Amino acid sequence: MAEPAHRADEPVREVPFRGGGFAPRRLRHLAPPFFLLLLLLWEGASRAGLVSPLALPPPSSILTALSDLAASGDLRRHLEASLYRLVAGWILGTSAGLLLGLLIGISSLGRTLGIPLVAALFPIPKIAMLPLFILWFGIGEPSKLATIALGAFFPTVINAYAGIDNVPRSLVRMGQSFGLSHRAIVFEILLPGALPGILAGARISSSIALVLLVAAEMIGAQYGIGALVLQAGNLMRTDQLMAGVVVLSLLGLTISALIGLAERRLLAWR
Amino acid sequence: MQLLFEEVGHAFDGLRVLEGISLSVAAGETLAILGPSGCGKSTLLAIAGGLLRPARGRVRLAGTPPAGCLNPLTYVFQDFALLPWRTVAGNVALALEATLDRRARRERVAEVLRRTGLSDFAAAYPRQLSGGMKQRVGIARALAVRPAVLLMDEPLSALDAQTRELLLEEFLTLWREARTTTLYVTHNLDEALRIADRICVLSRRPGRIRGLLEVPLPVAERTAPENAARIGELRAELWRMIAEEVRAADRELASAREPVDG
Amino acid sequence: MRNPFRATVVALFLAAWPLLPVQAQKITIAALTFVSSSPLFIAQDKGYYAEEGLEVEFSFFRAAQPVAVAIASGDADFGVTAFTAGFYNLAGQGALKVIGAQSREEPGFDFSGYLVSNQAYAAGFTSPEKFPGRSLGMTQYGSSFHLMIGMLADELGFPLSEVKLVPLQSVPNMIAAVKSGQVDSIILPAHIVKALEAKGNGRIVGWVHQYTPYQLGGLFTSTRNVTERREVVEKFVRAYQRAATEYHEAFNRLDADGRRVFGEKAEALLPIIQKYTKAKPQSIYNGAPYIDPLGRLDVGSVYAQIAWFKENGLVDEKVDPAEILDLSFIEGHFNIPE
Repeated sequence: MAEPAHRADEPVREVPFRGGGFAPRRLRHLAPPFFLLLLLLWEGASRAGLVSPLALPPPSSILTALSDLAASGDLRRHLEASLYRLVAGWILGTSAGLLLGLLIGISSLGRTLGIPLVAALFPIPKIAMLPLFILWFGIGEPSKLATIALGAFFPTVINAYAGIDNVPRSLVRMGQSFGLSHRAIVFEILLPGALPGILAGARISSSIALVLLVAAEMIGAQYGIGALVLQAGNLMRTDQLMAGVVVLSLLGLTISALIGLAERRLLAWR
Repeated sequence: MQLLFEEVGHAFDGLRVLEGISLSVAAGETLAILGPSGCGKSTLLAIAGGLLRPARGRVRLAGTPPAGCLNPLTYVFQDFALLPWRTVAGNVALALEATLDRRARRERVAEVLRRTGLSDFAAAYPRQLSGGMKQRVGIARALAVRPAVLLMDEPLSALDAQTRELLLEEFLTLWREARTTTLYVTHNLDEALRIADRICVLSRRPGRIRGLLEVPLPVAERTAPENAARIGELRAELWRMIAEEVRAADRELASAREPVDG
Repeated sequence: MRNPFRATVVALFLAAWPLLPVQAQKITIAALTFVSSSPLFIAQDKGYYAEEGLEVEFSFFRAAQPVAVAIASGDADFGVTAFTAGFYNLAGQGALKVIGAQSREEPGFDFSGYLVSNQAYAAGFTSPEKFPGRSLGMTQYGSSFHLMIGMLADELGFPLSEVKLVPLQSVPNMIAAVKSGQVDSIILPAHIVKALEAKGNGRIVGWVHQYTPYQLGGLFTSTRNVTERREVVEKFVRAYQRAATEYHEAFNRLDADGRRVFGEKAEALLPIIQKYTKAKPQSIYNGAPYIDPLGRLDVGSVYAQIAWFKENGLVDEKVDPAEILDLSFIEGHFNIPE
């Protein structure tokens, strides 16, 4: 070791470390015990009488309400009704949104007319439109589907055309230079290129659909998770209300996981 | 095939970029277009391939395309222009999908991947490839359609110097086999001197033909040590033609931008 | 007394003791601006609360549920609303006590009416007997409208499952739905159904009091008030009874033929009711419900309602009507079960 030497008459000190931090990582296996602890604290607070069971029912009574709902078959009926509305409404809104988003993305006329239309209509609270939908579509399923579809429509439009705008024009020129048809350019270049944006939009639109489910089931719904939550609230059955909220939350997690799966499958190329 | 430019001129929003380009790229010839930045080289190439309508003049194609040609005028792009969601084989197959059936397509793709040394990467996605490999895919895609004229837009400028050298060697091998008419746009003098039969020097904007230089040595012999002096002379001559344009363009560019925006 | 000065002070103080101002007790009343809440308003404007030494602050709500929640949470002391499953569930938690009556569906006094859409009426829905096979718009499951149709079904002997119940959340939605014929019928208070019929938006085919008279709503306070501030509750009840009696005499009179009549007394109370409800005189006359002059409850009806709600899974089995009611503040309640 000849290299690290210094003159004896010079002061020497170590280089102080000043990097690190600002790079949060997910610590594994910490989240589940944390949630368990929260639940236990909640249950304990409720049993000790610190929290009124009406204001915040303990996890155990929420679980009981949930299992009662499941045992009576009501949970299945509620879920079936809601899933049908969610899926059908979302597909309706998303397909229409993709179509308009595509038009805005590729046609000057679509862009000129479509963007101001979307900008003007997007901020309208869909819940405020519910009475109108009831006049237009009645109190049956169509008005519920319309509410959810409208909620899913706008984020899809915006994400679809933003996604198409994000496809490098050089790829379109490449397609043209190889003599690809318009159809092929749309389906082989623009749409796959916009897919990350479209899937990001699906994440948003599915959450909005879930939020609007409760609103949609306010009117004329005998079954549905949203109807269950509303009814439980009206009946002051807070344990059932929380059970419904838990189901909504699980529904949200499931949808999010499905979209995550779709992303991993369809966007493996990233 | 032969590619003919007849009095081609172009302008963007009143800014003239090309003027009076009359040029003939002979069948089997490799013609390099050399010029300073912003002289309209890429515009000329876009017009040549029918991606841009020239404001004046026209471009014509003479002769008959080679057997099995699917896309007479075919580009190789500076930024590779690969579809990131398609595999190497998928990218090469893209241009064949409208014309060839599945089996013929698979055979054609396998053949060009073999020729470009990409067979092992057929299932890889572009993000997994280095720049050099990506451009090999760009070349393979171009060769797959059996082009009559190759339009190459600074195909090596996005690569590092060593990779560029490697790819240049491979190009030259492939060209010697196919003898495809090639229009090769570059701003690199040495690249032009390595591959071109003739070099067309463009002036600064608006681009006009400043001069045409023939490279009298066979492509294979240009790196031979005994020809170094000869190549050096040609390089000096090229630089004489282009130096002043580059200097003027370099100074002009900054000031010319303002009126473009205004 | 060796010190005349001290004696004088003591004497003066003793003499003035009854004259010292009594600190008024503050209470908060949670109320809806409905005619059925009129006794609350009359007692305030006529000073009956003040005479009892109560200083009243009103807290107004737009729906019945929050009124009950406000009392249960201690944000308000007294309230009156219609009975619903939600109310009973809340009361069943122990925070509320019903101490008296609000309005009642009393024979001879039109209040809640069955209104049928024009389309359904034309198709033969001309009386409450025709409910089976038709739809009824209501606010929510467990609402008083749900209870009314349930009691009607029991009374007329048809299964409730033969009526298609459509929850519409709000009264405006119910009105819109019956106007457009999206539901065949609704049940709403007289001033609304009479106005709808007058405008040709539907037909009244009967009144709830003709089929199922019952205790519509109650006067309630928090359990805490009942146990800890008993004298305040007593004072409030006295003021409420005075006002209820006055209301009853003004608005709940029938002539010899059984028709409702309103006289000078009603006219005199009109400005007070108008001030709070912002309703037109005609609407007040149409929608003035029957209110017991002494706030006496039909206790049997409350038991029956809770039993019906339990049967239909809308009220928790644990809810005990005896626990909800405190009948000690008012004398003479009706139909008290053994």
